[in-house]
Amino acid sequence: MEKMENLSKEDYKIQSFDLETQKLLKTALKDPGSVDLEKVSSVIVDQSLKDQIFSREAGRICYTIVQAEAKQSNGSVFRRNLLNRLQQEFKAREETRKRSTQEWVCLVSFICNIFDYLKVNNMPMMALVPPVYDCLFRLAQSDALKNEEEVDCLVLQLHRIGDQLEKMNAPLMDELFNLLRDGFLLQEDLSSMGRLLLLEILEFRAGGWTLSDTAQKYYYSEVTD
Amino acid sequence: MSEQQRYSYENDCKPDENRNKGSSRWSQCRKRGADGSLRKAEEDLGRDQRCSRRPESFTTPESDGPVSRVKNWGDEVEAEEMRSDVRRDMHRYRRRILAVDVPQRDRKLSSGSSDSRDSRDSKDSPGKGDFETDETVLVRRQKQINYGKNTLAYDRYIKEVPKAMREQGVHPKTPNKFKKYSRRSWDQQIKLWRVKLHAWDPPAGDLQQIEEIDLGEIMDFELDVECSADPDSQCASANAASLSLTEDSLTGTPKKMMKMEDAEMS
Repeated sequence: MEKMENLSKEDYKIQSFDLETQKLLKTALKDPGSVDLEKVSSVIVDQSLKDQIFSREAGRICYTIVQAEAKQSNGSVFRRNLLNRLQQEFKAREETRKRSTQEWVCLVSFICNIFDYLKVNNMPMMALVPPVYDCLFRLAQSDALKNEEEVDCLVLQLHRIGDQLEKMNAPLMDELFNLLRDGFLLQEDLSSMGRLLLLEILEFRAGGWTLSDTAQKYYYSEVTD
Repeated sequence: MSEQQRYSYENDCKPDENRNKGSSRWSQCRKRGADGSLRKAEEDLGRDQRCSRRPESFTTPESDGPVSRVKNWGDEVEAEEMRSDVRRDMHRYRRRILAVDVPQRDRKLSSGSSDSRDSRDSKDSPGKGDFETDETVLVRRQKQINYGKNTLAYDRYIKEVPKAMREQGVHPKTPNKFKKYSRRSWDQQIKLWRVKLHAWDPPAGDLQQIEEIDLGEIMDFELDVECSADPDSQCASANAASLSLTEDSLTGTPKKMMKMEDAEMS
């Protein structure tokens, strides 16, 4: 199983953009008032739907641009455009899922990453709580659980933001985990990796959103026979 | 912080206590057949739909009355931010006035947002704990203050006159949103404050002057704003009156545009 990478502070993972867009993003970070922030948000959302790595890390660059704009002009044009565009994509999520599982999991990763990074006065954005839960519940449906790609996405998000989500709405988290327990126990068409991922996340949450040392060893250490 | 109990999204999915009664959608879905077999595809789809089906509008304690589901995330987060800013200001303000036993004239603290030093206003200083706490009112007042602060005039004013050098009556002072005032009284104070700030408008004939559209005046009170003798500022207000821009297109734009041009000019 993959451990989550530790990234350096300045690493916004924009290598997958073409050079001109990279330049645009770098300018947006330093001098947001000088660029078309609607375009910037659009470019970021587009890429996050295509690029798996970026979708998991885009929150960071978005946060920096939001802060830069607030500091420079007290504005929130970028954030507003970003969120509204994200909302459009969210509304179309079921079609996206039908069309491409890859795009769907990228969308979920991106929404969750934005939830993680874009705080309002150091608090998570309440407006995103229902949509995030919505996505996770969708991933916990049986037609999704049988796809390893979707289970992987689900457990990644829960590792990253599960504790925050639970604080925002505990009963919903309980309900989600009931589904996961049921899936683990009853669903026959789960892959063995899928089952492993589910078991790990069940233990993770049961341990207060952390793994015990022994569980850590079990799931993550290399097996040397 | 535990907001989770109040979210009506959870009411839609009916978790916890109804689960065992078997009357909730969730428990029905999760009920196994006698042979322990999985729920059928239609039930899954049904549950999926039930999960995503939500009421058309909902009310949370934090919102001002029912919030239409049609609202976009950008607006929702802006509103969240306003409310949490106002709450933060309120905590700071409460600490400040409760901590003051003796008015301190030379206090240099700039804790930001409550905008005026009550400790000095001996005649209308609030009794301890007796100030405006209604979030709706505070948010509305803060919006009006923001319209005023989001102007070139205000920018130029604060650069020119540091707080310590301000003279009462001469220099404009941001109204204190925490003091108890009637609606009319507050609106009037804001008008007068805005008028006073016009003295720091950029020189007449500037292109920027005309672009300083201010819908704050339209949104919150009548259009009989007393303008200063400056013909350009009068022109700007008149233009504002006849325009029908949405608040959304206004937000942040004048300031941003002005700042860009300001930078170009300097």
